[in-house]
Amino acid sequence: MTQCPFDLTAGLPESPRRRRLLAGAGLLGGALVADLANAAAPAAKHVTDAPAAKGGIDDRYPFHGLRQQGITTPRPAAGMVAAFDVLASDRAGLERLFRVLTERIAFLTTGGPVPQTDPDYPPPDSGILGPVVTPDGLTVTVSVGASLFDDRFGLAAHKPVHLTPMTGFPNDALVERLCHGDLLLQFCAHTPDTNIHALRDIVKNTPDLLVLRWKQEGTVPVIAASASKRPESARNLLGFRDGSANPDSSDAVLMERIVWVGQENSEPAWATHGSYQAVRLIRNFVERWDRTPLQEQESIIGRHKPTGAPLDGKTEFDVPDYAADPEGKKTPLDAHIRLANDRTPEAQKHLILRRPFNYSNGVAPNGQLEMGLLFIAYQANLQEGFIAVQEKLNGEPLEEYIKPIGGGYFFVLPGVPVKDDFLGRTLLNA
Amino acid sequence: MKKHIVSLAIAAMVGGMTTAYAAVAPLDLVKPVADYKIYVSTEVTDLVAQTRAFTDAVKAGDLAKAKQLYAPTRAHYEAVEPIAELFSDLDNAIDSRADDHEKRENDPTFGGFHRIEYGLFAQNSTAGLVPVADKLMHDVLDLQKRIATLVFPPSKVVGGAAALMEEVAATKISGEEDRYSHTDLWDFQANVDGAQKIVQLFEPLIRKQDPKFADKIAANFATVDRILAKYKTPTGYETYDKLSASDRKALVGPVQTLAEDLSRLRGMLGLK
Repeated sequence: MTQCPFDLTAGLPESPRRRRLLAGAGLLGGALVADLANAAAPAAKHVTDAPAAKGGIDDRYPFHGLRQQGITTPRPAAGMVAAFDVLASDRAGLERLFRVLTERIAFLTTGGPVPQTDPDYPPPDSGILGPVVTPDGLTVTVSVGASLFDDRFGLAAHKPVHLTPMTGFPNDALVERLCHGDLLLQFCAHTPDTNIHALRDIVKNTPDLLVLRWKQEGTVPVIAASASKRPESARNLLGFRDGSANPDSSDAVLMERIVWVGQENSEPAWATHGSYQAVRLIRNFVERWDRTPLQEQESIIGRHKPTGAPLDGKTEFDVPDYAADPEGKKTPLDAHIRLANDRTPEAQKHLILRRPFNYSNGVAPNGQLEMGLLFIAYQANLQEGFIAVQEKLNGEPLEEYIKPIGGGYFFVLPGVPVKDDFLGRTLLNA
Repeated sequence: MKKHIVSLAIAAMVGGMTTAYAAVAPLDLVKPVADYKIYVSTEVTDLVAQTRAFTDAVKAGDLAKAKQLYAPTRAHYEAVEPIAELFSDLDNAIDSRADDHEKRENDPTFGGFHRIEYGLFAQNSTAGLVPVADKLMHDVLDLQKRIATLVFPPSKVVGGAAALMEEVAATKISGEEDRYSHTDLWDFQANVDGAQKIVQLFEPLIRKQDPKFADKIAANFATVDRILAKYKTPTGYETYDKLSASDRKALVGPVQTLAEDLSRLRGMLGLK
């Protein structure tokens, strides 16, 4: 019999366990004892009980559709990106990879029982979600990097127009082993365990097709639900609300223009309903940030920290009036949000949909916290989107506190509209 | 986009993960296990002889000769690692790496091949290695004695093929095994040879159960051998840093797949 060495009551029948509880409670004496015993009887809590899901464990987003999930889908609390090198050496291998990914993602995002197999063999599932996989709001979004369009698969002629390897911006200190990849998977779910389960499932099913290159997990802080008003944007590790100026992801027409590749983008036909994805691992120097006066933090970002309101506004979603502040008396001209989006008609061209997570990775060699932003942004035109916005941000005062160290540019494949179809089919048939 | 909560009857499942195979008669396992024991015993005999020459060179202060004998000697250990590992005290003494010790290279408990490797290749000296060499010789002889009386459990033998490929996937692909001498490709090939030996001995049984599976394994071994052969030199193998990025990547797929496929071998042959 295996017994957890830390659970002293493991293996004991229920009644002695309860007797211990009663004996302990007896110290308090009197009627309280009976109350405690009654309260404890039906649902005694033990330290190693699995925490109860706060709802959403059966949430499912339909896998089939013109566009992939995980982009305009509401961002859940837990995210992860995993970048891979593709090991397949020819077109047939690449198609097999896309078919396996399609099949696994369709299952993982739907959930269901894992197959029961002969115990003499390794089990097909890691088991970390138990014998029935719960979808938990999981989305898995598949994108490809510029390197997939090299000479291995004969796809060079079909590369999306703006897809290039990410090159460093002036403030970047890119680490090669944290950059690029032939393929990137973005996992999003209510809990990190669901993402880990999905990643391990895909790794197990693709031993001859994929090898991991780098991965980064992240979370966003949850807030109390409010039925009446628009929820606030989640805060990043600088303590500021992040994404306040995001375009409205529930506006399908707007998303069609800003996020999804369509006819007007002069992209290869296969790329329609795809999207450019910019991923950046942006280290935050949080100790230094936390030692910066609040008014300076707010000037650097361009927002009030407690409310997220612009410096000339009252609430988070107020639109700053920079025309009324040409000298930057209220919002400095080099404030982060003013540089990123100066609210002129011209800025409309550069809108992107940001969907970031916060990451925390232990301790840097200097004893400071290794944490920051897992920045993820989607756009129909990478050059006009992320790259143009980042170029406006080059040299901003915030650079003292941040250091991009990894990531890459990817192109999200169009969705799988019907069963029997597979991810990447339009690319392979192009 | 609004959140869709779809209620679906669950259907998607992985299909065809387990094929029912005919039971393997226990008697059919006797010969391959016996043959494997002969293989191990031959390898260990070579290990003893070469460790003698290697440790003699170390003790004589013959740096060049000791360096030359380091990789070929330990290859015999790497080839039979699944059996050698059954004796964890000896495995730790003979083959542990600096990472396994709290004070790394300076830890007094760090001994065996890699401690000598550290002296020869990182410090370019045999100074202070005499007691380490004596201890290694002693441990290798002890290993030989223990293996001679060992009853080889068939599941350990068959499982050894997968264990060797796990070794390759975990420490040989990354070039972290022989970090001072960079002779990793020797160990890489020795692990692969050891795994391939086991598969060869059981091949008729595997083929009877699933000829396609047998072919797939053979093809992946052939790919690994073909890539490693590019790095053969008249006296052994190139150093790990010579392995090109594309060849390293080309090795990953077959290695991962062999580890995955060989993990099914015990089940296929009906071994618990």
